[in-house]
Amino acid sequence: MKSLLILFLTALAVLFAGLLKKRDQIQLLRMAGIVLALGAAVWDLEYGSPFNEMYAPMFRFDTYALSFTVVALLATLMLFGLTRWGFRELYDTLGDHYALILFSLCGVLCMFSFTNMVMLFLGIEILSIPLYVLAGSRRDDLSSNEAAMKYFLMGSFATGILLFGIALVYGATASFDLNQIHSVIVAQGHSPQMLSVGIILILIGLSFKVSAVPFHFWAPDVYTGSPTLVTTFMATVVKTAGFAAFYRLFGTAFAGAGEFWTSALAVVAGLTMTLANTTAIFQVNFKRMMAYSSISHAGYLLMAVLVAGQPGAAGALLLYALVYSLATICAFGCFMLVSEQNQDESFSAFNGLSKKQPLLAGAMVIAMLSLAGMPPTAGFFGKYFLFSVAFAKYPWLVVLAVINSAISIYYYFKVIIAMYFTQEENTYAVFIPRGFRWTIIAGLLLIALLTILPGSIYKLI
Amino acid sequence: MLLHRLQVKFEYMSLLLLFIPLLPSLALLLTRHLPARGIALAATLANLAVTCFALLSFNADGSFNYELNLPWVAGAGISFRLGLDGISMLLVLLTNLLAPMIVYTSFQRNLGQENQYYGLVLLMTAALNGVFMALDGLLFYVFYELALIPIYFICAIWGGENRIKVTLKFFIYTFIGSLFMLVALLAVYLKTAPELAEGLPAATHSFAWEDMVAVQLDAGAAWWVMLGFFLAFAVKMPVFPFHTWQPDTYVTAPTGGTMLLSGIMLKMGVYGVIRWMVPLAPEALHVWSPVFLGLAVFGIVYASIIAVKQSDLKRLIAYSSIAHVGLIAAGVLAWNKSGMQGGMIQMLNHGINVVGLFFVVDLLERRLGSRSLLDMGGIAKSAPKFATLFMIILLGSVAVPLTNGFVGEFLLLNGVWNYNFWLGAAAGLTIIFGAVYMLRAYGLVMFGAANGQTENFIDIDAREWAVLGTIAGLVLLLGFFPQFILKLTDGSVNRILGAVQF
Repeated sequence: MKSLLILFLTALAVLFAGLLKKRDQIQLLRMAGIVLALGAAVWDLEYGSPFNEMYAPMFRFDTYALSFTVVALLATLMLFGLTRWGFRELYDTLGDHYALILFSLCGVLCMFSFTNMVMLFLGIEILSIPLYVLAGSRRDDLSSNEAAMKYFLMGSFATGILLFGIALVYGATASFDLNQIHSVIVAQGHSPQMLSVGIILILIGLSFKVSAVPFHFWAPDVYTGSPTLVTTFMATVVKTAGFAAFYRLFGTAFAGAGEFWTSALAVVAGLTMTLANTTAIFQVNFKRMMAYSSISHAGYLLMAVLVAGQPGAAGALLLYALVYSLATICAFGCFMLVSEQNQDESFSAFNGLSKKQPLLAGAMVIAMLSLAGMPPTAGFFGKYFLFSVAFAKYPWLVVLAVINSAISIYYYFKVIIAMYFTQEENTYAVFIPRGFRWTIIAGLLLIALLTILPGSIYKLI
Repeated sequence: MLLHRLQVKFEYMSLLLLFIPLLPSLALLLTRHLPARGIALAATLANLAVTCFALLSFNADGSFNYELNLPWVAGAGISFRLGLDGISMLLVLLTNLLAPMIVYTSFQRNLGQENQYYGLVLLMTAALNGVFMALDGLLFYVFYELALIPIYFICAIWGGENRIKVTLKFFIYTFIGSLFMLVALLAVYLKTAPELAEGLPAATHSFAWEDMVAVQLDAGAAWWVMLGFFLAFAVKMPVFPFHTWQPDTYVTAPTGGTMLLSGIMLKMGVYGVIRWMVPLAPEALHVWSPVFLGLAVFGIVYASIIAVKQSDLKRLIAYSSIAHVGLIAAGVLAWNKSGMQGGMIQMLNHGINVVGLFFVVDLLERRLGSRSLLDMGGIAKSAPKFATLFMIILLGSVAVPLTNGFVGEFLLLNGVWNYNFWLGAAAGLTIIFGAVYMLRAYGLVMFGAANGQTENFIDIDAREWAVLGTIAGLVLLLGFFPQFILKLTDGSVNRILGAVQF
């Protein structure tokens, strides 16, 4: 709760500082706000959140919510390390951009902690509306405009479906409260038609939000068109939020509602990883490849939702989200430097990078291996815990996921091959700004730390 | 009493074997201006010294020596557990014996980016030592995969023609195989029910080797588990239909990489069969072993026939390696005393011989600029020292009595023979074929008319003599005194054979 308040106040302060054109204060404020919020979340995780009773029917900042809060804030903090250079061309609207990111973070925190479906809906909207604006923040770029438009249309469409589902579930159970819905479902012993339809509609709405196949069509275009920093935010924090909410809702409210949604979701998960992986192979644009890779990771993460409530499932989801975010930020960080200094978004931008900037190339290797789930990188442990939780109930899905991990090697290695084994044709120099250097080093250190101590995150929940 | 106290400290010996190469490797990979050659040689020699020291106070009764057990993910029953029984010790000895030689032979070439090269070789050494010492299923898997990363980079950066395509194929092949092993490990892990140790958080399952061995699988599950493991190990060794990555990769890789691959890395597959595959799913062995043995023996004959027709010396040795390892696999999978002991001694011998042979290829290539047998001939006249040492190593590879290969191949063939007469007879062809293709190659290199280049072939210098002499010495030494190896592994082989009832 404290973190949410701190973030909200920081966002307001940044907005006003932006109006007054105080650029240096903005940089300071947003960092201070995130660090404070992160500190507050860690403090609450250690000593318990004091406001839980006060907001009981709407939020609950339990261990689950707080752990995810820490992950999301950590990812945003690392992202903010990239913004000074990443937003260097935005003189007038810098405050607005930061404020939008912070506002959408408030929505993220609501999605971690809701105990009421109304709050879930509000959280998703608070998250999404600033993102629509951010996606289109390169105003004179046609693809950025396209991304914003597509994201907005698809997003509002999905929200509508979600809302309809929520209404139907309310009709069937006469409650928005997750625990009450659960007890009503358990007491009834069977699922009435209205409830089933409602759950399926919610499932579809959330699948849109987390870009699961067949509701993923918007994602590649939006990821490619948006400014890379915004894409990074979407691929890490927003994705984490989507899955944390998905898990919380289906793990708490609909856990006993029957097989019909789990079997549907299992098929969706299988389709998501397979289709996204096979499509990613054919991409030549790095950002588009990462978009499909992000969809395929959504497929793996859906396995955690499938076994929601089993011991270890939430921990596996948390570890996976953290590891995936770290690797994605490192990868996009390297990509931003390379692509913007080379004016090239395809794999060839990376040619010969190992000789020019060994640090960036090395970071990229670790990030790609981690995304592929190659031991001993932290990505392996993320995958391992996810697979081991899902294996007892869905062995066929785990085997499919394993085959998909092998396929993913092919396109992740395209980057490594370009960096190390391809002769450089481009002669541009790559300059690493200070913020990028520290962010990437911090990301690598965290990945290394999670390799040595994956249990510290896994056992948190 | 004194020995007992020493033993307590000795648990860190296994950790030393891991970290002596690992730390310098990280230092070399992360910095640019260290003397790479010196550090690499010093680290590998230090590791060899530690190995010899470990051998001195080694207890070969089949128990795990120098055992180290640290909780890793305590709640999930994953621990950082290392230990050495006779089988592990043999392979650690092989790794650390060959590593300095591989580093030293790499000095002969000017590679460029040497920091990275030697850093990767050391990383590889650490991972290989880890594979052979790990007593926790997941730790084994992590090391098994870790070994793949450095060798991929070694082959793809310093390799020859077409290296990008060939090495990617190699990587994806082995990665897919290993992933099936991960699923198999998971399936067994989820059936374990470890006894709870005091003071540790309760874990419902465990990856500890003993706990996994204790699991009784039903026939259907065991069938799948064994298949999963076999896919991983068959790709690595490689066994017949899974071998297609191997000749290309061996030929493309730089000599150091080829030596690592053929000398040590493919033993990971054999070791995995002995330590993990059969003990974890013994229930399915009698169903699968006819298939596995059939594939292995077929591979022997198939690879030998192809080897006879090769004109590229490196490719010839690559195919001969498939044949030799096929025999080791067949002997081990026959799962009797003779086959197992033969497999043990032959793993060491094959490693030594094949590194020697690849060094010879490298030497010829450096002098003549070609690996084709058609460009050679008459070298024996101008380089008698080289001819003699090459002959000794070659005879070891052909398994002539009193060389190291003889004892191993004899025991292996005896093991296969005891399993099935006809398979034994077919596998026995390897000796005949081996003699044919090896002696043909030797004849084409050494005898016949010299051409313009081979006339002035310079005999080996002192540094080359050191490598070839050591290897030839080992070939003869192990040929005369194989008991040392047999004694080292006897206890562990008995224990593993006894533990697996089917």
